[in-house]
Amino acid sequence: MDTNWAAEHLQTIRTLMERSALYRRALAPIMIFNGVTGTVAAIAGILFDIESPRDFVWFWGGVAIFAMAGSFLLVRRQALKESEPFWSPPTRRVTQAMLPALVAGLILGALVLIRVNSVTQKTLFELDHPNFLAQLVVKAAPDNLTNVLAMLWLPLAWVILYGCAFHAAGFFMQRGMRIFGWAFVLGGCLLLARGIPDWPRRVIYAHGIMGFFFGLLHLAYGVYLYFTEQHGNET
Amino acid sequence: MNPEPFLQLDRVIHEKGRMAIMSMLAATPELSFTEMRDTLNMTDGNLTTHIRTLQEAGYVSVTKSFRNNRPLTTCSLTAGGKKAFTNYINLLETIIRQNKPE
Repeated sequence: MDTNWAAEHLQTIRTLMERSALYRRALAPIMIFNGVTGTVAAIAGILFDIESPRDFVWFWGGVAIFAMAGSFLLVRRQALKESEPFWSPPTRRVTQAMLPALVAGLILGALVLIRVNSVTQKTLFELDHPNFLAQLVVKAAPDNLTNVLAMLWLPLAWVILYGCAFHAAGFFMQRGMRIFGWAFVLGGCLLLARGIPDWPRRVIYAHGIMGFFFGLLHLAYGVYLYFTEQHGNET
Repeated sequence: MNPEPFLQLDRVIHEKGRMAIMSMLAATPELSFTEMRDTLNMTDGNLTTHIRTLQEAGYVSVTKSFRNNRPLTTCSLTAGGKKAFTNYINLLETIIRQNKPE
């Protein structure tokens, strides 16, 4: 008697169980929390004139830690409320899917910090250089280089990587999350293609990018989820 | 080959559609009718019939409620359903084990 059917049945069962074990935490409060955090942070960044690339990276790094901690607390509260484990298999899968892109963003931020330091040190060293031309090049380089890195490339790299993270997580969440991820990826790429605007105040542009993507876009999606998340289950 | 495990397979679960419903419900506390219908690509009538059969066997409980003024039907496995599904999987594994070439 052929028993392949039994193996096939088990495989079907496994696939269906994995597919139905989607991440089901209510995302609206998490998105709204992150949206408010991002918007407030962007406004604060502009108001307090957080202009140096170094401060920019530290500031938004801090905001990211705050947002992640808040999101985890919200998820934990939901899990406790529903008497479910916090670190459930779907939560684990979503975290694992997001991790590579988020870690890449973290490394990029760290690289910019290191680069800012090394350029400054190099500048001091090179100032004693006998070659006048080399002095000029190095004198001109740090400001341009660090500003370009931190005020345009870095925020947009973060946006694109964040979009990749959400797109990956979308395979274990509701389908809308992948579209949300695409919005970040495409929006980030479009702004990269546009380049740095000819604008004396790059700080507003950089914080504006962060505020729009990590603030307003989250807020808009959160409000949308709030009104739709529990509406699609009619019989 | 020992046909015993095969004969013990629960006929209620051992049907493609119902096995799929049981599999989905086994992985999550509850699922809405719409979610199951969309995931399994079943018609409303087909899904309703299968759920009714599972309900009559005492494997699935159905809750009808309203959420935001819209009707919501959710299904979940009963304790008996969980036990029957675990037995079903164990029997499938036994069948595979028995027929593994030495």
